[in-house]
Amino acid sequence: MIELYAITDNPGPPLPELAPELRLVPFDGLAAVCTPASKAEVSPQTLWHHEEVVEALMADRDLLPVRYGTRLDDEAEVARAMEGRSEELAAALDRVRGAVELSVRVMAAAATPSPPDPVATTSGAEYLRLRAQAEASREDAAGALHEPLAALARESAQGRPRPPELFRAAYLVERGAVDSFVAEVGRLQGESPGLAVLCTGPWPPYSFADR
Amino acid sequence: MSDKLLHAPLDLDPFASAIPRVDDALSRRINADPESLERGLAQLVLTVVELLRQLMERQALRRIDAGGLTDEQEERLGRTFMELDQRMAELREEFGLTEEDLNLDLGPLGRLL
Repeated sequence: MIELYAITDNPGPPLPELAPELRLVPFDGLAAVCTPASKAEVSPQTLWHHEEVVEALMADRDLLPVRYGTRLDDEAEVARAMEGRSEELAAALDRVRGAVELSVRVMAAAATPSPPDPVATTSGAEYLRLRAQAEASREDAAGALHEPLAALARESAQGRPRPPELFRAAYLVERGAVDSFVAEVGRLQGESPGLAVLCTGPWPPYSFADR
Repeated sequence: MSDKLLHAPLDLDPFASAIPRVDDALSRRINADPESLERGLAQLVLTVVELLRQLMERQALRRIDAGGLTDEQEERLGRTFMELDQRMAELREEFGLTEEDLNLDLGPLGRLL
């Protein structure tokens, strides 16, 4: 069995030393980066290792990250699986070329009083009003942050926030524009003392590699 | 791993505690042993109920926005949803489930709730 890490251009810069068994399986001008599948049990460590390899690859090439745990029988099988889709994959790679993914998550700053817990109220109408309010304030926070950030990104993808998060989104940002994006996050944070804004990255373009 | 924090608020703890632990997700997916079957079934049923509850609640909010409900109807609707919400919380507790447990990862379709 072999394990897939990424789809990338072929030829590209030399593969990183991080995982000595990394190999390129070429197909139609692209290549899949793989290693022999590890026999280790699935664990957070193996997941981190996968991420580490993809990030090391990302340092000096454009790539489509492959979902962790993708395994195929052998290299011939990889080439077969890829060949039918090479046009689609080449287009997907062009979509993310020269860019990285940045993640933005927003929560209410700890200092702001949280809205009263709806469960604590006894009036049904009041409960629904609080629910509607919570929804509206989420949308406000999202709109105010999202538009200026999306303007600096090539593409963006809003995710459904996981409570108590108010907002989460991924942005596909040109490598050269990461600094100005982060500066804009800082400016928006300064304007919104009621919010706590977290920006992480650069990540492989996971949110922009799905089709 | 290089530092991934490009911009972080002073207090990171709320973000850290909101991250579902990776090993939880892994064990949820892999250890479907018979002992946890009951809990797994409860999880599935409650997930569907929670999905319906949220859909109906949103529908109710939309109807209120559109007007056309009397105060009494609003009060009754609200009370129903409030009680459903409380009952769901009780059931979750009974089966040792968190809100996040009722949110299925549908792969490429995203998350259910």
